[in-house]
Amino acid sequence: MTLAPRAFLTGLAVLAAALALYPIVGTGYGVRAMLQLFMWIALAGSWNLISGLTGYVSFGHVAFFGAGAYAGAILIAKAGWPWLPAALAGGAAACVLALVIGYPCLRLKGPYFAIAMLGLNEVLRALTSYFEGLTGGGSGLSLPTLHATVPIYYAMALAAAGVTLLTYLIITSRFGLRLMTIREDEVAAEAMGIDTARHKLYAFLLSAAGPGVVGALAARDQGYIEPISVFPLATTITMIVMALFGGKGTVWGPVLGAIVLFVSQEIVWARFPYVHQLLFGAIIAAVVLLMPRGVLGLLQTKYRLPRTL
Amino acid sequence: MTLKALGALIAATGVLVASLPAGAQGPIRIGASLSLTGTYAKLGNYMHEGYKLCAKELNARGGLLGRKVEFVVYDDQSMPATGVRLYEKLITEDKVEAVMGPYSSPITEAVVNVTEKYKKVAVSPLAATTSIFKRPPDKKRYYIFMIISPAEVYLEGLIDMAAKRGLKTVAILNEDTLFAKAAANGAAEIARKKGLQVVFQEGYPKGNQDFSAILTKIRAANPDVVAGSTYFDDAVAITRQMKELNLNPKMYGLTVGGDLPEFYTLLKQNAEYIYGATQWEKALPYPGNKEFNEAYTKEFGREPVYHSAAGYAGCQVYVEAVKRAGTLDADKVRDVLLKLEMKTAFGDYRVDQDGFQIAHKMVMTQWQDGKKVIVWPDELATGKPRYPMPAWNQR
Repeated sequence: MTLAPRAFLTGLAVLAAALALYPIVGTGYGVRAMLQLFMWIALAGSWNLISGLTGYVSFGHVAFFGAGAYAGAILIAKAGWPWLPAALAGGAAACVLALVIGYPCLRLKGPYFAIAMLGLNEVLRALTSYFEGLTGGGSGLSLPTLHATVPIYYAMALAAAGVTLLTYLIITSRFGLRLMTIREDEVAAEAMGIDTARHKLYAFLLSAAGPGVVGALAARDQGYIEPISVFPLATTITMIVMALFGGKGTVWGPVLGAIVLFVSQEIVWARFPYVHQLLFGAIIAAVVLLMPRGVLGLLQTKYRLPRTL
Repeated sequence: MTLKALGALIAATGVLVASLPAGAQGPIRIGASLSLTGTYAKLGNYMHEGYKLCAKELNARGGLLGRKVEFVVYDDQSMPATGVRLYEKLITEDKVEAVMGPYSSPITEAVVNVTEKYKKVAVSPLAATTSIFKRPPDKKRYYIFMIISPAEVYLEGLIDMAAKRGLKTVAILNEDTLFAKAAANGAAEIARKKGLQVVFQEGYPKGNQDFSAILTKIRAANPDVVAGSTYFDDAVAITRQMKELNLNPKMYGLTVGGDLPEFYTLLKQNAEYIYGATQWEKALPYPGNKEFNEAYTKEFGREPVYHSAAGYAGCQVYVEAVKRAGTLDADKVRDVLLKLEMKTAFGDYRVDQDGFQIAHKMVMTQWQDGKKVIVWPDELATGKPRYPMPAWNQR
């Protein structure tokens, strides 16, 4: 181990302080870009909670993001809620959805769960288009103008930190060990007396809360949402790639993946729009082939870093 | 180790984020995000070429306020969230002195919150949805200006021609998105006003490919007129499936897609008799239109479509307003834009107090022997409509 825990914690505190002060010196774009980076950290981290730890790959995680976005936006636009409680309600809505969906679907094995989640996303998109009175249908929902980028920046940062802390707490707990046992061998886990259905459901609920909250925050920040922009398959794929790139099943892997991919997209790829998609595909292929455990997984093996990193 | 790497990354981001501002007397940089990839890529690229040609011609004539003009364009991947971030970047990082609108209504609806926040005039050449401009007083927007006719009147020509022929019933189908739905609702309202009965109206999700269920229902309603509020891929698919199902109305018209050259290339004789609504045609006798066509074809090796012309004209309208105001100051340019009356290669420009377009005219075309003929309105028509549409197997 190359870093003492104390140095690590000090580093984290300094980083947190720097990020807390950033809006004072940052430009409007800087704050907004960081805000979206936090969003991706929370999304990739949440996906990691269910798919990285239990091995149940969710191909529809953007459904929770979209559900949170719509729940939050409807409460803001139709019921006049302030955005902060609306964001928490977005998280709650996503959890309720996860409960309803997870209970039957987590009993599905292998690719069937992934496909069920994919279907869920399409169903939700169709439903939001259908219930026009509430959601505005395909015309979308336009929120009252509000310039709250800085407070939303802090809320988004807390969401990202919360998801990462939650991951750490889970990975270092018996609960986390049980989840990873399910991932390695579900039958063996069952034989050892782990209530696998219940554990998977808990992990699933925890993995839905983060996307719900950041969905509502993103909706408030953007001021306009429509079904196709909050339920795109591309968002699920991006969070999967971020978590895989950084290292699935680790605490800091999704964070690392989100930072590297988001920053490189902003700085390099924005200037080469046509190369961008090609590069993204190439990265997926390279990660899967060359380092299936991601950057952090590779470092953990090579330098014998702790599993809890 | 990892933490160090992380720190280095964040530091690197900081350095790159604090990029260089523009020199004071360099070129005037105009920022825009456009859909160069993603679902709107085809049309976004046409629009981009319109911007480019406008800047090129302007610079050849000495530029604007004695300075050259340069577009700074990023790709928003057809996603509103990306567009929002990019306008924030253009204004606060790149410090562009002016901006122009993005492609499509949904993206404009999202990014206009940013341009309003920084008090930037945003002439938005391809935002056609009324609700972006017409807002309650407490949500009013001040710096956004419309160039094209609103979505609601896209199919006015088709309905008007049908009413004049004494047709009675119309069926409307639309992609369920902001613009397409507004166009469908507008068509339904015009139809009712003109005494036609709307016997069917239904939306389908974006990206839909199988229209057999919806077309079977339309066939059961047996309308005189079928009107589709479409983009492009759906317009082609609907036409093919109408033929397969032998759905044979007397008139059949489309909003976007039916007027593009690719529509005929893909459908050949099946595109005949189909009406397309368009904001602009190359045959229209607008001042400078012929020259625009020639210059565009020479520059980009393909013919312009209305999205190109709207981008080109939107840029010209903004430039004219800056010239008259003598400054890039947003409030002064806004005052000029509110009063400006202008004729471009794209047609007339005049807006009301909400920046909402009131002078520009839509036209209706019909495919006749592989050529697009303008058949509506009468004063701009280059030919007579062929009526009625024959059975699909008799062409």
